[in-house]
This record gives sequence, structure tokens and C-alpha cells, in this order.
Amino acid sequence: MSRREGSLEDPQADSSASPLPHLEAKIQQTHSLARLLTKYAEQLLQEYVQHQGDPFGLPGFSPPRLPVADLSDPAPGHAGLPVPERLRLDAAALAALPPLLDVVRRLQGELNPRALRLLRRLEDAARQVRALGAAVEAVLAALGAESRGPRPEPAAAAVAASTASAGVFPAKVLGFRVCGLYLEWVSRTEADLGQLAPGGQA
Amino acid sequence: MPAGRPGPAAQSARRPPPPLPLLLLCVLGAPRAGSGADTAVISPQDPTLLIGSSLQATCSVHGDTPGATAEGLYWTLNGRRLPPELSRMLNASTMALALANLNGSRQQSGDNLVCHARDGSILAGSCLYVGLPPEKPFNISCWSRNMKDLTCRWTPGAHGETFLHTNYSLKYKLRWYGQDNTCEEYHTVGPHSCHIPKDLALFTPYEIWVEATNRLGSARSDVLTLDILDVVTTDPPPDVHVSRVGGLEDQLSVRWVSPPALKDFLFQAKYQIRYRVEDSVDWKVVDDVSNQTSCRLAGLKPGTVYFVQVRCNPFGIYGSKKAGIWSEWSHPTAASTPRSERPGPGGGACEPRGGEPSSGPVRRELKQFLGWLKKHAYCSNLSFRLYDQWRAWMQKSHKTRNQHRTRGSCPRADGARREVLPDKL
Repeated sequence: MSRREGSLEDPQADSSASPLPHLEAKIQQTHSLARLLTKYAEQLLQEYVQHQGDPFGLPGFSPPRLPVADLSDPAPGHAGLPVPERLRLDAAALAALPPLLDVVRRLQGELNPRALRLLRRLEDAARQVRALGAAVEAVLAALGAESRGPRPEPAAAAVAASTASAGVFPAKVLGFRVCGLYLEWVSRTEADLGQLAPGGQA
Repeated sequence: MPAGRPGPAAQSARRPPPPLPLLLLCVLGAPRAGSGADTAVISPQDPTLLIGSSLQATCSVHGDTPGATAEGLYWTLNGRRLPPELSRMLNASTMALALANLNGSRQQSGDNLVCHARDGSILAGSCLYVGLPPEKPFNISCWSRNMKDLTCRWTPGAHGETFLHTNYSLKYKLRWYGQDNTCEEYHTVGPHSCHIPKDLALFTPYEIWVEATNRLGSARSDVLTLDILDVVTTDPPPDVHVSRVGGLEDQLSVRWVSPPALKDFLFQAKYQIRYRVEDSVDWKVVDDVSNQTSCRLAGLKPGTVYFVQVRCNPFGIYGSKKAGIWSEWSHPTAASTPRSERPGPGGGACEPRGGEPSSGPVRRELKQFLGWLKKHAYCSNLSFRLYDQWRAWMQKSHKTRNQHRTRGSCPRADGARREVLPDKL
């Protein structure tokens, strides 16, 4: 990654308008938000596995990493990409998470109706990740590196004409997967923004 | 294909699993070969069983997966590996499991029965719901706050432990007409309670009952019939003030206001006072204060901080014949009795202002007082005010024997100097 891509200097900016302090503040703020949501995502995952029962909470628990529509894990080469490209991928993932978290919340509302704190955390997570996604988009726009092209409609919002016999265990696994993806992507976003924040590595 | 064998009650009352959204499969996406995803299926999926029943389950590996075989498969239940003697291969692609005498589910989302490949990877899962049908809820009690709402509480049958999520629904209807209604605001005063906030009729009986439902069946409580007016409670009396009675070291005066929400209806209200010493947990209760808004506590310890609370029972409202329901206690109000070197009397009682003297130590003192009056004055207008003044004088005279002041309107027959009590101590 070139020093230029990792720095805050924008050669096209009018130096007399001084957008940099505002941008720095925005990056710092978004980075802090991502750090906070990383902590919340860890707590959410912990709370989630408690309510599903073992083996979900056991160390080494590794259900099949089924692909989730619209969202995958960060690619192995993610850290090697230029920061703006990383942030674009982060923003896309953050945009895909809210409807998935809503699905998990609805499923858990049936499986664990008395787990009020878990249900509240899932609801809050959807709202918070939306806010983080919007903040990352704003940073990208300020950097002149907005996402390219319209995003596809989330598949989670569509009703499939398929049988509903997936079962309770797959529903638990789905929630585990989504909570795990949520944690991975907010912590990934935190790390990527950290490289843009003052004092971050170029 | 072998299936679980639940008990007869479960078979007839078994409910289908909760309807999961159709989007679940879409969200999960297509399984990838070799990932272990959806390469096997467990049957039965998500069965509901009675505690103590048996289960026969199978894990069938998909035949189209390369190398798919039931060889080496094993089972775990809630993360614990099951003994191999419980499993057997039915055929090349199917492993069977036999579980007997099942315990109640460990979590309400179901016990996790998982089929693993030889290398430990998860091939499929099924959630077992093992429990009991609900028993009849009982002990329904209801109260109305200021005739505006109704809150009911009940006890779940079998102390609530069904091991399954059990839904409780409070129903009510007017006895003589009307449709069944369902209460909507649950857990307002504990886990088994519901609050009906409005649209309640007076002077006509309601029928109230609780229905309990889970995957294994349902149960209904007995019906409670009541009129809202018979179960009225109100707010604690506001503005409770506790103050000293002059220098009297063993008395405190308590005053309060009638609860405002029902003040126009509280013709027969009862009040109760309770008090305790600051560092004690034992309350003393003064019962049947009757329809007054003040009271005097006597027989207290001198130089001691007391906490006092008052509550109200609006019985007899609109002519109700029932006992009424006590309000909550008011917030504690504290006051201290004046200090004295003289040891104070024990026990306590509430002396109504201006009324007859109570029994015990107060009566004895009053007799002494009257005896003193006969000796020193010709007062025909005896009153407790004078009595209080005398008591204060008695206390002071123990400290400074020669302290006298001339005041008052009670003459002495012999014209000697009057020893009267200061009215402000």
C-alpha cells in the first residue's frame, strides 16, 4: 500500500478550505464507534451462545461455515488491499448485516422468547451497525472513494418459495454464523480505520 | 425410518416446531460439497417428548456426497459425546441412536443432538424438546388501583417447571355478557402477572382465568369471579410527618393525608402505622387507627430515632362488603424522641389525640397527675394539654428542681404560688 493511499493528504483538496481537520475528526469518531461496536459484538456472541446451549459455547465449536447470502468472511488478502478498497468492502459488509441480524432476532424471538437481553442486543446491533456503515460511507465519500455502483437488494428481505423445514438447529447455527460475521466485520472495520486515524500505520 | 417414541400424551398433544421463516434456507445459501454442510440429515427433526420417554433417531448421510458413509459417525447431546453402545449402523449410510429415560431439556431452545463425522465435523443437528405439559395454574389474586385498572397474579402449576417454554395467558370477561378478552401487559409485578389498564366496569362481576400452553399441552385454572369494587387498593398516604410532642421523650406525633385519588370516597378507610427503631428490623404495628389522619405513638424510648410508615385500606368503598386491600406502606419518615437521663418506658401504643387515655403506663401517670391536680389546684377543665405540660414539667424537674414559672389559669385553693407548666418546652 502506498504511503499516499494511507495518508490523509488529498492532492486535489483546496488547501485554503482545510477539510483535513474535519475529515480527521470524522475518521477518529468512526474509529471509536467501530471499537465500541467490536466490544458489543463480543458480548452479543457470548450472550447468544449461552442461550443456544452446548456445544455452541464450547471452545473449538465449529459448525459448518455455510455461506450466508450477501455476506462472507473477510478474504484472506483483505489486509493487503489499499485502505479505501478495504473500507469499501467493510461498508458493503456492514450494509448487509442489519437484515441478517433482524432475521436472527426474529428466529430467537421464537426459540428464546424470554431471553429479553439477547433480543434487545440483536435489535441494538442492527441499528448500530447501520450507523457504523453510514459513517464509513461518509469517510469514503470524504476521501473521494465512494462505493462503486448500486448494492444488490438483500436476499434476506425476500421471501423464498422454499420449504420451511430447515429446523431449529440450523436456525441456531445461522444466528451463530451471523453474530460471528458481525464481530469479524466490525473488528475488521476498526482495524482498517485505525490505519487512517492519526497515529495509525500508513 | 425410525422415529422418536414419545409417550401417549405427547403423541396426541405434540405440536409442530415453531414456523421458522422461509427465508432461512435462502439466507443460508447453497451447501458446498465437502464442507460438511447439509451432507446429512437427522430424523426426527426437533421432536417434542415427555420426560422419561425414549427416542430412536437416525443420521443419514447424503448418498450423492463422495465418500459418504455412516462408518465412524458419532453423536453428541448438548456437547457431550454419547456412548458408542447407544448407536448402531442401520446400513452403509445411516447410523441409528437409541436414548431412554430422557431428562428435561437443559435449555428452552431445545437440547442439541448432533451427528458428527469421524473427524469431528458437524454433519447435522436436531433439537429435542423434553418436558412436561403444564399443570393447572392456581391461586389467582387480583387488585384494582383506585378502581382504574386491574392487576392479577397467579401461581403456575407444578411450580412452573415444565422444562419447556410455557406461555401463560390471562383471560377475562364480564360474567353475564361479553366476549373473552386477553390481558396484554405481562410481568408487571413478577413473572406470573398481568395488568389490565383500562375499560373495566364497576358494579358487575368479572370472570378471570389463566391458560397455560406449551408444546406438550395446555391447562386452565379455575375461574375467579370478582367485582372490581371488592378488590380496590390505593396509593400509600402521602405527606406523612412525624414530629416530637413538645419535650415528651416517649412520644411522637404522626400526621398524614388521605390518599388523594380516593379521598372523596374514603368514608370508612382504615389506616395502619408501623414503626421501628433505626437500627432494628422489627416493626411494631399499630392496628385499626380508624378513619383518622393523625396519631400519637407513646411508650417510645427517649433519644431514639424511629422510622414510621403508614398505609391505607379503602374498604367499604361504594358500599363494598369485602375486607379491602391494604396499600403499600408510605416511604419511611424518621424522627427522634428527645433525650432523657431517665430510662424510658418499654412497649408502644398509639394514643388518639383528645381521646381517652390508653391503658398501662399512661394510665398510671394520669392517675398521678389527677392526684397532683386535686392537691394543688381546683381545675375543672382538665385536658391532655395540661397533662402534657405536666409531664414535661415532671421531666424537667428531675434535672433542675428549682425551676418554676408562673403561668396558666388554674388557681390554687390556698392562694399559694402556682407551679404551672410552661406550654412551650
